[in-house]
Amino acid sequence: MDTAIQVSEQSRRDAEGYRRARLRALWVRRMVIFVSAVVLSIYVLAPVVWLVSSSVQTEAEITSVPPHWIPEEPTLQNYRAIFSATEEEEITYENRSGVDPVSGGFIPSTAKSLLPAMGNSFIVACAVVVLNLLVGVPAAYAIAKIRFMARNASVYFILTTRVIPDIALVVPFFLMIKNLGLLDTLSSLIITYLAVTVPFTVFILVQYFEGLPDELDKAARVDGCSRFQALIHVYLPLSLPSLVAVVLFTFLTSWNEFLLALMFTQTEASQTLPILLAAFTSDFTISFSFINAAGVLAIVPPVIVAIVFERYIVSGLTAGAVKG
Amino acid sequence: MARIQFNKVNKRYANGFHAVKDLNLEIRDKEFLVLLGPSGCGKSTTLNMIAGLEEVSDGELLFDDRIVNDAPPHKRDVAMVFQSYALYPHKSVYENIGFGLRMRRMDKAEIDRRVRDAATRLEITHLLDSRPGNLSGGQRQRVALGRAMVREPAVFLMDEPLSNLDAALRISMRAEIKELHRTMQTTFVFVTHDQAEALTLADRIVVMRDGVVQQIGTPDDIYERPRNTFVASFLGSPPINYLDGQIDTVDGGSLFRRGDLSLRLPPHVAERLAGQGGRHVTLGIRAEDVDERHQAGADNLLRARVKSVLPIGSDQYLGVHFDKQELYFRVGKDLAHKPGETVDLAVDLSRLHVFDPETSRSLIWEDGAAQ
Repeated sequence: MDTAIQVSEQSRRDAEGYRRARLRALWVRRMVIFVSAVVLSIYVLAPVVWLVSSSVQTEAEITSVPPHWIPEEPTLQNYRAIFSATEEEEITYENRSGVDPVSGGFIPSTAKSLLPAMGNSFIVACAVVVLNLLVGVPAAYAIAKIRFMARNASVYFILTTRVIPDIALVVPFFLMIKNLGLLDTLSSLIITYLAVTVPFTVFILVQYFEGLPDELDKAARVDGCSRFQALIHVYLPLSLPSLVAVVLFTFLTSWNEFLLALMFTQTEASQTLPILLAAFTSDFTISFSFINAAGVLAIVPPVIVAIVFERYIVSGLTAGAVKG
Repeated sequence: MARIQFNKVNKRYANGFHAVKDLNLEIRDKEFLVLLGPSGCGKSTTLNMIAGLEEVSDGELLFDDRIVNDAPPHKRDVAMVFQSYALYPHKSVYENIGFGLRMRRMDKAEIDRRVRDAATRLEITHLLDSRPGNLSGGQRQRVALGRAMVREPAVFLMDEPLSNLDAALRISMRAEIKELHRTMQTTFVFVTHDQAEALTLADRIVVMRDGVVQQIGTPDDIYERPRNTFVASFLGSPPINYLDGQIDTVDGGSLFRRGDLSLRLPPHVAERLAGQGGRHVTLGIRAEDVDERHQAGADNLLRARVKSVLPIGSDQYLGVHFDKQELYFRVGKDLAHKPGETVDLAVDLSRLHVFDPETSRSLIWEDGAAQ
């Protein structure tokens, strides 16, 4: 350019003013986001940090004021008690004062049931996950891709079952389980958890499958697939994110479920972790540090599952929300 | 090798929509048949019934002499190319092309040979390891063709395979598909709403509307001898012009009259309309069937007022006002016209079409009259 464009001083000043205002707005926005993120992180993480920290504190330290976020005398006695609880002496009302009065260390009578309960929880959760996939995937494929009579009606029917609160179903469920002779068995939990989770699984997967083009299904079938093979070879590999969402959801729901488990389980044979954890608070003496140690163990499996599937979680959870 | 017959086939959907009505059609072995019509006319449904992706509601569908009404798609020896290509996003190009063969448990070495053959023919060898997501539209189209080719099917089905391509690519792919048909020596059924595609590719065209076949014939038949106004309007760009008027019989010939306009109908038309003086008819004049460079005589003169001039490069479209009606013609671009001028157009009388205004049927090419 030979001739520079003439710009007045005033307009240069204006331009500079606009630029500063824009930078200021940008800076303010970053600060707001940063501060919000910090507050939210504290809100979410503080209870977990306290849980982990207090699980290695003694009963005396845990009740100190102000609380110790970092334990001064860390101890693994709670974990030791959980993992080595073989044939502990039974603690009763009479001998409860035999507890070490200095540390205040106290191990609940049911400590040795903790690992079996975790085992129960794990078996139930895994069974619910597997059965959900076995039932939910073909159901969702059929609803999403096959035109059959009463297709919409069946979708609504499945969804309506989720509108009813669990508490309303507890008594009918209990009677059914009792009449089937399944009280105090893992099967009673697996069956009822399926009733709760399968509708949600179908709902998520239907949404996802409907987002996948029909022509893929047609192409697969012309290429020589039966309906079932089209599902296995084409739809399953493509719906991995939503499958992961389903696995997480069903695993966590089963892992955390309390109400139904409280009704149907009575002994160590079928009690799950939430039931046992709750029972610690109703023992003769309550040891908060021990409960917290058990709490730490309770969150380990879900965290492992979440880490394993981490890269699929976000896309899977949003998959149902927005089509395509 | 396959001859496909539709014998009074109907398709009704669960919601009551009657998509295909009483379809009688024979698709000959090794023929290139195009199903042509506007969207919702039942052409894709017809194709899907051949593929086995839609059930036949009633009637019979035969491959050679075998009734295949209830045979699933994988038992029919058909291959299909879709508008969206429908490539499997999680498989490489190689796996996409070979998938149909793998599902048929073909020997690995043979699959490899066929996939590489097809890739070479379609010039996509360098893409075999890519995922479909990384390919351009034209490349995906080739992969989709390859996936169908390797199967060496008895029937090759295509559902608007070129609609998603840009204009230039569409024309070159048309040529390739035609070449593919020539070398593969198998039956092709091609669905499109694009008249140009149908006219270039087809051995025969089936024009459909609202689930009913309007006309079956060679591209020439369909274009030159339309059986009704729908077929006449559907082909041709700009579309055919219609004028309502009356037949007038004079000294052994027939005239079409409307106001000042008087066109002498050619002998083959006059013959069919003999003795029907005074009958109301709809005259069809194709956009290209006028000429303004030749002197118009008394019996083929159409005088109209120019309304718009739309150059399209090679020619120009001329919009004219005639007797409160708008007509569009395609004329040479060497003559300059201005809106508002009066123009004298010489109508090519031998190419006039005459329809019954009540039934919309052709009065010249009635069914059976001009086969």
